[in-house]
Amino acid sequence: MNLRKPLILTVVASALVGSLVMNGISATAASVPGVSKSQIVLGMQLPQTGGASPGYNKIDDAARAYFDYVNSKGGVNGRNIKLVVKDDEYKAGRTITTARELINNDKIFAFFGSVGTQTHLSVVKDINRRGIPDLFVNSGYSGFYTDPKKYPNTFGGLGTYTVEAKILGKYLKEKYPDKKIGILWQSDDFGRNALAGLAASGLKFEARKTSASFVAGTHGSIGLGTQIGQLKANGVDIVIIAAVSSATAVAYATAAALAYKPTKWAVISVGADATTFQTILGARGTAPATSAALLAGTITASHAPAAGDADDEYIKAFKKINDDFNNGADKRWDNNVLQGMNIAYLATSALLGVGKKLTRPKLVSYLKKNGSKLSSAAFSPIGYSGTTHEAFTGFWLGEYDASLVLKPIDGTRVVYTTDSANGPVTVSNYKRPAIAADALPRVG
Amino acid sequence: MSKVKTHKVIGFRSTRLAIIFFVFILLLSMKFGPYNQFQLANIATLLIAVLSITLLTGASGQISLGQGAIMAVGGYSAALLVTRLEISMWLAFVLAIFVSALFGLFLGLAAARLSGPYLAGTTLVMALAIPSIAIRFDSFFSGDIGFSVDYGYPPDWLTNLLGEITIEEWSLYVALPFAALSLFAVLNLSNTRSGRTWRAVRDNEVAASLAGINIARTKIIVFVCSSALAGLAGAIYGFRGLVAPSVYPTDLSLLLLTAAVIGGLRSIGGAIFGTFVIVFLPDVIERVTKFLELPETISIYLPALMIGLLLLLTVILNPRGSAGALEHIRHRHKH
Repeated sequence: MNLRKPLILTVVASALVGSLVMNGISATAASVPGVSKSQIVLGMQLPQTGGASPGYNKIDDAARAYFDYVNSKGGVNGRNIKLVVKDDEYKAGRTITTARELINNDKIFAFFGSVGTQTHLSVVKDINRRGIPDLFVNSGYSGFYTDPKKYPNTFGGLGTYTVEAKILGKYLKEKYPDKKIGILWQSDDFGRNALAGLAASGLKFEARKTSASFVAGTHGSIGLGTQIGQLKANGVDIVIIAAVSSATAVAYATAAALAYKPTKWAVISVGADATTFQTILGARGTAPATSAALLAGTITASHAPAAGDADDEYIKAFKKINDDFNNGADKRWDNNVLQGMNIAYLATSALLGVGKKLTRPKLVSYLKKNGSKLSSAAFSPIGYSGTTHEAFTGFWLGEYDASLVLKPIDGTRVVYTTDSANGPVTVSNYKRPAIAADALPRVG
Repeated sequence: MSKVKTHKVIGFRSTRLAIIFFVFILLLSMKFGPYNQFQLANIATLLIAVLSITLLTGASGQISLGQGAIMAVGGYSAALLVTRLEISMWLAFVLAIFVSALFGLFLGLAAARLSGPYLAGTTLVMALAIPSIAIRFDSFFSGDIGFSVDYGYPPDWLTNLLGEITIEEWSLYVALPFAALSLFAVLNLSNTRSGRTWRAVRDNEVAASLAGINIARTKIIVFVCSSALAGLAGAIYGFRGLVAPSVYPTDLSLLLLTAAVIGGLRSIGGAIFGTFVIVFLPDVIERVTKFLELPETISIYLPALMIGLLLLLTVILNPRGSAGALEHIRHRHKH
């Protein structure tokens, strides 16, 4: 391998490749990165491609649609909001690179709505170290939010898995005291947080009997036959699922194939979106009517109104904006679109609240002090304070009807609230403010 | 090989080339903005991993589809040492080399009995299995959450010397010396007796055996050296922010192999070129798609598609990679 000359030539050639992508952005950065007289730049990372993308890849288009609507109404304090999106393929190694791209090339003011726990874990320390606001992360992992000293700039965009599981667990334990309750969970932060919440509500499971787990992401290739078979063999009446949407779909299809009909399914909300469920089963050749029949009767929780609740004022307003402004490849209305719009609404509120003189520390401090007073489509209070950065601390429980609209369980919507630790589950007395006629938030 | 070079000459040449690489990347970084400085740090890190493939596959003919898994071994070793024993990152990187080399030794013991597709299959299984171990024994390896680790802050003496150092510059300053040292090591190994022995085994095992070379031992040694490099790369790669299963997915192994093939499996210069391509090509494509205003539905799939296409074209049109093409052009000029 005598490579003296070729090596030097290669180094030069490689440098030329590099030069092609030399950063063309000049050093005339404004005093606040990502904020100019006419624009605020936000950055989002999420899986737009790859196995984890179905459903979640609609959140960015929905959020952008809401921001475009805000811009059409004059923006926030005269500034338009621009959302730059990077596809991290749900791979943490890639997220590290896309985050640097957003920070250094796109010069974003703040991160907004990043999707995924593991992916966000790879960058959260760096984002906080740089003092960049990290708004409304689409992860229910409580580790991001419950210790604001660790991640002072990170704020949640979902309720935590623990809070939701505590509320669901309490309900199931009281409603079905004589039934055998089991769980199918993915063995990652999501599944573990859910298990912790259920344990706090008094629900315990027996390994290899009423508790069946699988390595996250393997349900597509390996399937869930063993796990569902185990729950069936142990006579589990009520199956709780703490897994992503695609795994929920595989679990239901497997149970149907094994002729296993538990009395009830109860699914943690991030894995229970009806549209995603039907899309995934549809791709496997299941007719919509069949998949709807499978999901009907399932219990799940929500902090927001049901996506299918056509009479809700926020849903009506957001749906109209989605129809008029969403340019995404799949703009079908569902929970993901609602979530994207709702956190965009929340971001607009926060930016309005800080006022004209927008800086990163001011935004963070505003959210700490006033974040809990911000309104959104959610029926749940927002938890932001000096001691926690959890978003929605309340959930209501619902059951899918035959047309897959989530209807309040036992007829009346009751919002329960609790914390991500050992606090009690209580009924929330939060009253959601009405949405303005122009669907823009009002602050102060 | 027309003449046998003395160790001194080879050592001098390797040192010179490693220094040229080091200085060149450093000079290039001064021209670049922060993002591309970070990409140069990525190049320095991934180059070490690609060199491990050049050594293993290029020099000794053993195929590995699991270098990403060995990177995970290095990453976890360093992260565990830093978080559990609170030792310095630099020492952890060095110890990660030894742990990975030990892992390579065990792997080599098995690999010495396998070849071709059987070895490729075994290493691919390893790439799939190793991240799952972290999840299975989550109380020790911290499961999916992994370990949040980073390069920390530059030491005061360096800041006093160079002025304020950005996070991106610091990433490069951490990775680049290791890349240069790895380059030096691989150049040395390839051009000395070890390299000639490995190539003899690669080209014809029977002939090499007749010449008195212990085939099994040679293969094990290559695995140890290659794993040491991959483990080091994995440690530096993980300390960019997180050591967790999702940082070392199976397709990381395939991406590294792609870089080595595009550059030319048997060429060290090719490894450098291939690494530049896999790191910078997605950025070039992003610029082009932005310029052409291609819809998002097309642009998001283009980087993976183009790299795959480039790999196919390399294999079909020029199996010796860019380094082979360069040599071909040089020969044509001579004759």
